[in-house]
Amino acid sequence: MQEATFLILTALAAGTQHGYGIISDVSEISGGRVKLLAGTLYTALDRLRADGLIGVDREEIVDNRLRRYYRLTPAGEQRLAEEAARLQAHATAALRRLKVNLNLNLAGGVA
Amino acid sequence: MNEPELHGMNDSASLERGYRRLLACYPKAFRRENEEEILAVLMACAPDGQTRPSLEASIDLLKGAVRLRLRPRAGQPRTVFAAVRLMWAGALAELAALITIIATAGSVKAAVMHGYPSAAGSVMTHVRVDEVGMPIVIGVWLVLAWALNRGRDAARFGFASFFLLTTMSMIIAMAQGDAVYAPADVIAAAAVWSLALAAVVLIFLPASNRYYRQEAPVLV
Repeated sequence: MQEATFLILTALAAGTQHGYGIISDVSEISGGRVKLLAGTLYTALDRLRADGLIGVDREEIVDNRLRRYYRLTPAGEQRLAEEAARLQAHATAALRRLKVNLNLNLAGGVA
Repeated sequence: MNEPELHGMNDSASLERGYRRLLACYPKAFRRENEEEILAVLMACAPDGQTRPSLEASIDLLKGAVRLRLRPRAGQPRTVFAAVRLMWAGALAELAALITIIATAGSVKAAVMHGYPSAAGSVMTHVRVDEVGMPIVIGVWLVLAWALNRGRDAARFGFASFFLLTTMSMIIAMAQGDAVYAPADVIAAAAVWSLALAAVVLIFLPASNRYYRQEAPVLV
């Protein structure tokens, strides 16, 4: 799963959001590192909808402009949970090894 | 007295026109579903006073359009997706061959006149037939690829007939001894023929059948 897709699903995990809301939320989740642009966001949303991972919750017209709210489907929740567990397992492994290295270095330094 | 406000309106109208031009690169079905919404997001992201799409947003929009056009249509099996790409490659290969024939017609004529003056007439007729016939063949490849991509069952049989014709013309060319005096021509034809063969096999695989046997044809 691409990082943008993962972050979009994560943004929707907290509740329904519209396009602009997803962009600001993804920016917040990533600590300002990932700034989604409209082309990336909507090609991803289109794919996620086709795959049944997200759905349209409702539509509103605000200032004469269409605002569509998206939500995570049960399949989307499951997919995000699996991906998060996978990333967590990798991160845990990486941190454990770094810690072992760090301890060895420290031990070496003392001796 | 309302001048600044009017200016603001003009700015946003011209910015919106710029974005609509970029969105015109997207597939029709995608635009119908998403254009107004994307526009709302793009306008919301633009700082006040911006009159044209930023370079960053433009590149991102164009990349999205390319990505969408290269991706299989909704419900389209991978086999059909691959077959249509092979057919695009076939049209491209024919185009390359046509350009080669046109570009080398002069030197071919000179060489034939020099080596086999008696055959010059028939060789040049052959070249002229290619110059007229190949654009038609390229057109057939493209029209059939378009129709097959959209799930038209009739196009499958159209392409199968086209493949048979190609096969026959290749066998005739071989019988006439093309392989001896024009090996490059035969190799190019064989390459294009293999693409057509692969595409025919793909569109008649069981995995493709369900795409072409739907109740209603897939429009748009």
